[in-house]
Amino acid sequence: MLNFREQLKRYDYSFFGICSVIFFIGILNLYSATHSQGVGPEEGLYKSQLVWFFLSWTCGIMVSFIQPKNFFRLAYPAYLASITFLIVVLIVGHSALGGQRWIGFGSIRFQPSEVTKIAIVLVLARWFSKAAPDQETGFRGMIIPFILSFIPALMIIIQPDLGTGMLVLLIFLFITFYRKLKIKTIIILGMFGIVGALVVYNFGLRDYQKKRITTFMDPEYDSKGSGYNAIQSKIAIGSGQFVGKGFRRSSQGALNYLPENHTDFIFSIFNEEHGFVGSLFLIALYLSLFYRLLWLASNVNKMFDSIVVIGVLAIFFGHTVVNMSMVSGLMPIVGVPLPLMSYGGSNLVTFGICCGIVTSISNARTLF
Amino acid sequence: MFGEDDLVRQHQERADIISNIIVISFAIILARLWYLQIYHGKMFFNYSLENRLRKDIVRAPRGMIFSRNNVLLTHNVPRFDAIITPQYFDSPEETIPYLAQILDLAPETIYKTLKRYQGQAKYLPIVIKKNISRREVAVIETEANRLSGVTVETFISREYTDKDTGAHLLGYISEISQEKIPRFRDRDKYDYRQGDFIGQSGIEQQYDLDIRGEDGYQFMEVDARGRARRHVSSDELYSGIDNKRPQPGKNVRLTIDRDVQLAAKKAMEGKDGAAVAIDVDSGEVIAMLSTPAFDPANFSTGISSNYWGELIMDEKHPLRDRSIQEHYSPGSTFKTLTAIAALETGIITEKTQFVCGGTYRMGSRTFHCWKKEGHGVVDVYRSLRESCDVFYYNIGNRLDIDVLHKYATMFGMGKRLGIVLPRETSGLIPNREWKKEHTGQEWQKGETISCVIGQSFVNVTPLQLASFYATLANEGKLYRPHVVKELFSSTGQVVKRFSPELIKQFKLSKKTSDIIRQSLFDVVNTQGGTAIALKGVGLQMAGKTGTAQVVSFSADKIFNKCENQEYKFRHHALFAGFAPAANPKIAVAVVVEHGCHGGSAAGPVAKAMVAAYMNKYYSKYQAKIISQDKMSYDQILEDNRLNPVPMELENTDTTYFDETGKLIKNYLLGKTGVVQEMEGD
Repeated sequence: MLNFREQLKRYDYSFFGICSVIFFIGILNLYSATHSQGVGPEEGLYKSQLVWFFLSWTCGIMVSFIQPKNFFRLAYPAYLASITFLIVVLIVGHSALGGQRWIGFGSIRFQPSEVTKIAIVLVLARWFSKAAPDQETGFRGMIIPFILSFIPALMIIIQPDLGTGMLVLLIFLFITFYRKLKIKTIIILGMFGIVGALVVYNFGLRDYQKKRITTFMDPEYDSKGSGYNAIQSKIAIGSGQFVGKGFRRSSQGALNYLPENHTDFIFSIFNEEHGFVGSLFLIALYLSLFYRLLWLASNVNKMFDSIVVIGVLAIFFGHTVVNMSMVSGLMPIVGVPLPLMSYGGSNLVTFGICCGIVTSISNARTLF
Repeated sequence: MFGEDDLVRQHQERADIISNIIVISFAIILARLWYLQIYHGKMFFNYSLENRLRKDIVRAPRGMIFSRNNVLLTHNVPRFDAIITPQYFDSPEETIPYLAQILDLAPETIYKTLKRYQGQAKYLPIVIKKNISRREVAVIETEANRLSGVTVETFISREYTDKDTGAHLLGYISEISQEKIPRFRDRDKYDYRQGDFIGQSGIEQQYDLDIRGEDGYQFMEVDARGRARRHVSSDELYSGIDNKRPQPGKNVRLTIDRDVQLAAKKAMEGKDGAAVAIDVDSGEVIAMLSTPAFDPANFSTGISSNYWGELIMDEKHPLRDRSIQEHYSPGSTFKTLTAIAALETGIITEKTQFVCGGTYRMGSRTFHCWKKEGHGVVDVYRSLRESCDVFYYNIGNRLDIDVLHKYATMFGMGKRLGIVLPRETSGLIPNREWKKEHTGQEWQKGETISCVIGQSFVNVTPLQLASFYATLANEGKLYRPHVVKELFSSTGQVVKRFSPELIKQFKLSKKTSDIIRQSLFDVVNTQGGTAIALKGVGLQMAGKTGTAQVVSFSADKIFNKCENQEYKFRHHALFAGFAPAANPKIAVAVVVEHGCHGGSAAGPVAKAMVAAYMNKYYSKYQAKIISQDKMSYDQILEDNRLNPVPMELENTDTTYFDETGKLIKNYLLGKTGVVQEMEGD
């Protein structure tokens, strides 16, 4: 058994390190977004975000001392627990911003869809890791993992939280792809996907979700003003130009042109204040995190560990790409936060735990 | 065989593809950012600087509140505030003196106001002067060029036609407090914003979601100084942005009759207490008044903290609605119930007589009758007519408290009646179980003796008291009192109608009912009755007076004159009854705090309400009542049987005349939903 000092020596600080740097930028940006041009109504937010940060990092660091084999054991219980939470939230959840997403424990509010992301990663990793060595994944191999991911995804979508539901499906695709999904299957699935999307769009989406998509496709179609956010976000980003307007100089956020400028639209404010240079720097940081994860995935000994790392990558990558695309007008606005930058407790905890899991896997890698 | 690490290695190919996906994704995002920030950067920068869209909230007008005859009780009046937005306020040295001149203020005042809000965001407007005149509005708008950063903001404030009359029932509105916004959003599923006004009591609170309507919004293009340039409809950049018109709130038609309400108010002048009148056949509340009151309009115009402080600190609690949120010992008005319980359970009959010598002894305790020398031989008729206490002490000795509880509950006392208004209190009708639960002690026989005359634990709200007498008048139909007749839209369509709701129905024996009704008639209409002073031509009221002790006095003080006591120790005065006796239409209950005598303090208020109601709705029927004025109760019943007069509402018109034949100034709701003011000639 290793003593604690040696354990610390082997400890992989890179994930928490990179994430802390991004968070540090994030908290400055949050402060700026809520304090530009005098005192706004949300001035206290950065303090609670700091509290959440310490809480998440504590959770994450605790998780990092769990042996990876225990993640394997925990996969199904965690999955069942998250399904239960999702059912509870559908029945009794508090309504926030038009959706049933929260469960309240006393004064603490908790968003089960966040935990679901981690549970899905673990359960899929466990399922796929027992496959025969060089076997590729075809339709048949996909059925059960698909059901495992589709049930919670559907429950999240009807909350309604389209963004997170889609993310869960994205995690599923990412992992399945990594686990050698046949190219032929991908093409056929893609075709089904398009047909399915058309059907879902016409019959399965709520009006405001549809509106978001049509607004994106054709802003002129929108007549109720939901294109407003997209336009204001674009103005915010564009007006940052090369070097930005400077710290606490955002006018779009300050004038309340951007609603939720501390959550979903935080990247717009960052761009407005720090310009193209700022986002280059920020994106470089995210990329270093993703490449570190990708490297780890290819350099572990166990298939389960490898898939978990890919799953965590999918979570981080999915959030980042979707958020950046939607605020810059590449995608409809679906309400996905930017990891470590957007204000929000539940998702910060998720990212903390994700960091803990991959750190644990990285630490175990060097143990023989 | 492969080892597990070989297996991982086999996935390298896929990992490489994922790496490519990541690179491509971010390449696209960076390209997009480059397109927005570098390629079109200048354009967007100019947009953000010069060409600003402002989303202005267009407040929905709150619904109006009308009386049962469409008399406007509450409506909205626009109010204008002069405001400065510091962000656009760039030449204070020139603007402030000029603005001060326009608004008739000292320039220092404006400097001071600006200084006070220095710390807040520069885009938040600062109110310089509230409630400015239309002339000032016009000057500011025409002189906009010399007053950059100064604008006029329109608010809608609430005006209440009759000021403090019925203020508790109508309620008031005030700005939502910031801490409450999240909780209220959850509760009402309504997107409250800072600066919204919400109903805080009475109808304004209870029907807030119906009355408030739905705010709209309007996009304005503003220049760099925040001045509105034009409404945005369609534009290359802003394509797809549209405005939303506000949906006006629903109007409320009450069951309240303004004249009865005003009559009650006039009669209550200088008295503290509550007055309630109920339609006997439907539970519709015709008048509901609590004094002292407040002027609700003061809240919606941004109440001065002084006024609020005064209301809160006032020992008389003017904000409390005494008609439903306060309960009182019913005193002798409760004897009616005791008599019913005793007659129904056979403890007494029509013929039972007790001797009243002024006192009643039970064990070591002596209970006094209000009449020191006693009433002599008393039967049930006389006991009610002259309100003999000793008669009821005798009943109290034989009557079980649980039986009394059963009858009181039957008539709607001791429980909330469920009137749809905030914070109704339940009152209290004790029984054994209650006492055990709350004091841990067994019920004492002596306590029943206090309860039967409406003292001790017995407490009722004025509304319950009125409802009790209404149920007595309609022979056992307990209606849920309600104050709203219907909600209707701004275009006049009825959206919701509230019909009478029967809580329960029961049957009293005819004998009991006759005895009680005759006795109550005698209280007001025959010599010796405690309320003979209320006998009025054309009223034919039946009722019961009551005097409730506020504190118990030692034996030697009991017969001191009430008026000589310190104000807060004086008895409460009550009167409850219905009219007309033979064919009841309206039931009333009045409590006058520290009014000493039911007949002389509370009675006139009841009389005023009945008179106003009968004059207005049954003026033809009154002729008949007047002719019956000399008859006894039996003769009246006989007369009514022989020459029945249909009791139809005679005056459902929206206009009416007062006693002198003058058309009363009246607001009418036209077909278009527009309120027109009518002037009498």
